[in-house]
Amino acid sequence: MTIANSPLAVVELACAALSAVILVGYLFVRPPLLRATKLALLLGLGVFPIGAAFAGNVHGFEETKERKFCGSCHTMVLHAADSDDRTSRALASEHARNAMFGGENCYTCHADYGMFGTVVTKAGGLRHVWLYLTEYRNTSLEEDKKRIHLRDPSQMNANCMRCHSTEDTLWLKVPDHVASLDDTRAGRMGCASAGCHGLAHPFWALDAGAKP
Amino acid sequence: MTARSAERWLVVACLCALAALALMTWQIFDPTVWPVMIAMSLGQVLGTASFAAFAYVVFADFRARRRTAKESRRAEPQ
Repeated sequence: MTIANSPLAVVELACAALSAVILVGYLFVRPPLLRATKLALLLGLGVFPIGAAFAGNVHGFEETKERKFCGSCHTMVLHAADSDDRTSRALASEHARNAMFGGENCYTCHADYGMFGTVVTKAGGLRHVWLYLTEYRNTSLEEDKKRIHLRDPSQMNANCMRCHSTEDTLWLKVPDHVASLDDTRAGRMGCASAGCHGLAHPFWALDAGAKP
Repeated sequence: MTARSAERWLVVACLCALAALALMTWQIFDPTVWPVMIAMSLGQVLGTASFAAFAYVVFADFRARRRTAKESRRAEPQ
């Protein structure tokens, strides 16, 4: 998402600019605290910054769904690079080429879609930040490969099934799907596993034998 | 609160708000982990603190004006 095609970013910048003009003006002129000064400062310290914060927060929140954001930690560089690779046959990359996922493919597959899914997902993201600061800040990718794994792999099938419902007649014509139906729906057998559709990030697991 | 003290509070509030706006704007141009995290935490704290300082100055000024008005009414001959 660029600034030009995000109205929220434009609103945020406009509010910040208007506020900055008022505040810098006050700092230079230092007028007495009359009603007009209070009103101007109410706009410069209250109304416009609140508008900037609101628009900025929503915009920032949306940006946290982007692959660029996920890949900005060194531990996720390979994942993001693989998704960016138009020739990769990895499941994650194939989904990234689908317009429904696009630049938000990390979030779309790893989000929690429960009632408070977005909040839960972002709270989980804060856990990642904590782990990054306390454990992974200075680790090499080789070390990370041995340690980083999905906390709840059984959750992943639920996200696959948001699009692949497992109820479609074509899908049910595949004998392997029928044979593993209960296990797939219960998350006991991963759609993205070596025997089925392949690992979502094969370079990560195959190199070091990490958990998928 | 004296006029000088009120001005000092407002200068600090303006500087805090400008810093907050800079942090909030940074995330727009560089939407990676740290700018977004800092904008949503430190940026919000600084912005809220600056507005709280402004509200404190306005409230103190309002109280001072009311006190002065009361005293001047009391001083008027009946």
